[in-house]
Amino acid sequence: MIRFEKVSFHHPNGQMALQDVNLEISPGEITAIVGENGAGKTTLVRHINGLLKPSEGEVSVLGMNTRKVSIAKLSKLVGIVFQNADHQLFSDTVSNEILFGLTNFHFSETASRQRLEWALEHFDLKDYRERSPMMLSGGEKKRLCIACILAWEPQIIILDEPTVGQDYFQKERIREMLVEQRDAGKIVIIVSHDIEFLWPLQPKLIAMSSGSVIAHGAASEVLSREDIIQRSKLITPQLLDLWKKVPLEGDPPSDVKEAAERISKLSTWI
Amino acid sequence: MGFRNANTVIEVRNYSFKYASSDKETLHDVNLKFHEREITILVGPTGCGKSTLLKSLIGLIPHMYAGSWSGSVIIDGVSIQDRKINDLALTVGYVFQNPENQIFMFSVERDAAFGLENLGIERAQIRERVDWAMSLMGITDLATKPPHELSDGQKQRAALAGILAMKPRVLILDEPTSLLDPHTALELIQLIRNLRDQLGITVIMVEHRLDLIARVADRLLVMENGTIVEDGKPREVFGKNSPSLRNIGIPTITRLYQALNSSRPTGNVPLTVDEVVDLIRQKQRTVSA
Amino acid sequence: MYWVASGFIFRRTSSPIHDLDPRVKLLISIELFSLALAASRMEEVALVFGSILTLALIGRIMRRLGKTVLFALGFAVMIFLINIFVGYPLVSAVEVAARFVTIVGSTSVFFLTTSPDELEHVMKWFRFPRDLVFAFVTAVRFVPVLLMDALQIMDAQKSRGLELDKGNPLKRIKNFGPILVPLVVNAVVRSGELAEAMESRGYGAVKKPTTLYGLTTTIKDRAVVLGSLLLSIPVLFFFIVS
Repeated sequence: MIRFEKVSFHHPNGQMALQDVNLEISPGEITAIVGENGAGKTTLVRHINGLLKPSEGEVSVLGMNTRKVSIAKLSKLVGIVFQNADHQLFSDTVSNEILFGLTNFHFSETASRQRLEWALEHFDLKDYRERSPMMLSGGEKKRLCIACILAWEPQIIILDEPTVGQDYFQKERIREMLVEQRDAGKIVIIVSHDIEFLWPLQPKLIAMSSGSVIAHGAASEVLSREDIIQRSKLITPQLLDLWKKVPLEGDPPSDVKEAAERISKLSTWI
Repeated sequence: MGFRNANTVIEVRNYSFKYASSDKETLHDVNLKFHEREITILVGPTGCGKSTLLKSLIGLIPHMYAGSWSGSVIIDGVSIQDRKINDLALTVGYVFQNPENQIFMFSVERDAAFGLENLGIERAQIRERVDWAMSLMGITDLATKPPHELSDGQKQRAALAGILAMKPRVLILDEPTSLLDPHTALELIQLIRNLRDQLGITVIMVEHRLDLIARVADRLLVMENGTIVEDGKPREVFGKNSPSLRNIGIPTITRLYQALNSSRPTGNVPLTVDEVVDLIRQKQRTVSA
Repeated sequence: MYWVASGFIFRRTSSPIHDLDPRVKLLISIELFSLALAASRMEEVALVFGSILTLALIGRIMRRLGKTVLFALGFAVMIFLINIFVGYPLVSAVEVAARFVTIVGSTSVFFLTTSPDELEHVMKWFRFPRDLVFAFVTAVRFVPVLLMDALQIMDAQKSRGLELDKGNPLKRIKNFGPILVPLVVNAVVRSGELAEAMESRGYGAVKKPTTLYGLTTTIKDRAVVLGSLLLSIPVLFFFIVS
């Protein structure tokens, strides 16, 4: 459980970045944070592993007050995959890149080996284990970054704009990974404005605007509100848009397959 | 197909390129003609050679990259391998993926002037063209702003203004919307379409977000392993049941249409929600009648 | 996050000093600099320092000048101590230290009121090679960008359990590897992209590039040049003779 209580944050120069944020995020669901650039999404996320401490209010993560615990201790429980892969890759080989976190978090030799093998296998990086991370393609780099974090099995996984610059194939893999982590009972948080990517996941949505949370709820509810769509600089997901425009009965479908089944039941579609 | 009659602006002829650091060709025997006033979108999985192709169209490849090549890229009847890149700047404008790395100067207007200054254009004409380019991009009021005060969307427009001031006939863009939120991305795409409509500029761009932009494209090229595997209007290309389409992000709404019509997969498919709304309403009417 | 980099950014302000032609500002700075060098007695140093303060007041850069002077004071104290140590009399040691602060202050008048933009024009006016001027422009332009890179890299690695201030001195130095490697790689990649963007915008196409803006001198600028020369040359002469 992550809890934000009356959290405000301002930079040392006085600039306000978060304003009276109250939130609860529970395990077993995917939460997506949306909003235009500068709305406070990354500032919010940096509070969860203690990179930033609230100026006012309190952030508690798995029962711990982030002010009282070190970043390192929190990071073992909260894994953040930052947007730019080139901001984190530094090792000579893919294996060492994955081992970096495991060593920092004092995994034993055998446990490290085991987790490394799991990560290489699970993220399809086995053939690259001795390769330099710098020589990988954009998609492979992103996969490696995610592997590096998931290797130490954090309870909370946060991804900052994971789909930027990724092709369709990579996006599908990231989506599968998110679902898998959710089903394993983790707290999964994704910062993204790739609305067509998010929609099939049917996440809880947190919409932000100038440092405040302006909506928090089921994706279909939040995205049905025109004012939220406008203030978050989003556009309505196509399936939801279709359902509202025709209009069709029932909750909007989450994926193409379900939509097709329900429409063909309506009329005998040739 | 109407566009076959239009004038060819750039021609790629039997073109192959291999990076010095790689052991196989990144582009393999590509043959393409880009036509005047057409918006062409290039898609394909990462590593298929899209960026290499784009950079070859302005001579950055092979001029600035070590590698071997064969065939030619021809602009105005001259092979660009025989021309200097800065000589091409007035014909082909290139907008890079990250606007941050192409804004050099301390203010929007001075950056818009950068290319013209380099070409030795006289001051009065620079002034005129810079003002024109900024007003086209709707950033006149940002003229004296330094780059770090601009939002991502504004940076992208500033970068575009710097290219447009040179009045190129061809505009090449490498994933111009990848950093933008959907709303701002849509605005930018609209702006690019206006450039084509008003100025007759030929547009060639790489994009992954087909949900947003397939509808403004005249032509869609699908690349795979260094070759062009599909080429046509987006509606036609999506309508084909080609396996190469599995790796590109066909718009959700188009996939829905295809799922509903799995028995007859060919033909012109819809690209927007509104088109499918109409189709469903028609259907409902015929059923109830 | 941006606030961190803001210290490195020149803010455009307007004041009677800021609005002068940058060459005039440079001239004033040089005059003050020469006066500070030539001043040998305490009251002479005080006169020059007073003039600097007056200009700072008009140019509304008191606070920033204050920071610079404070910084220089640190060095001044050191100079003072060395002088005492070597056996100079107390008065002359104070004088040397005060002169140092004044010299630093005189250059600040130029650097605190001149934008990178203007500096670029001045460099061009002095016929610095184009590549050098451009290197200066990009360096200033990308300092905040690289700083942001560095901050993001630090956040990313801290989130992977890197503790910069843990361990023995050797370990601490090693701790900077995960920060420095991505920083350098990013800078190299960025400069490669910059080079391509420069090339595609015709950099180096003609020998004599034109400019959108040049330096223009107004009547006011000329008056300031004349006035400041009329004031400073006799004083300078007096300082040297005395």
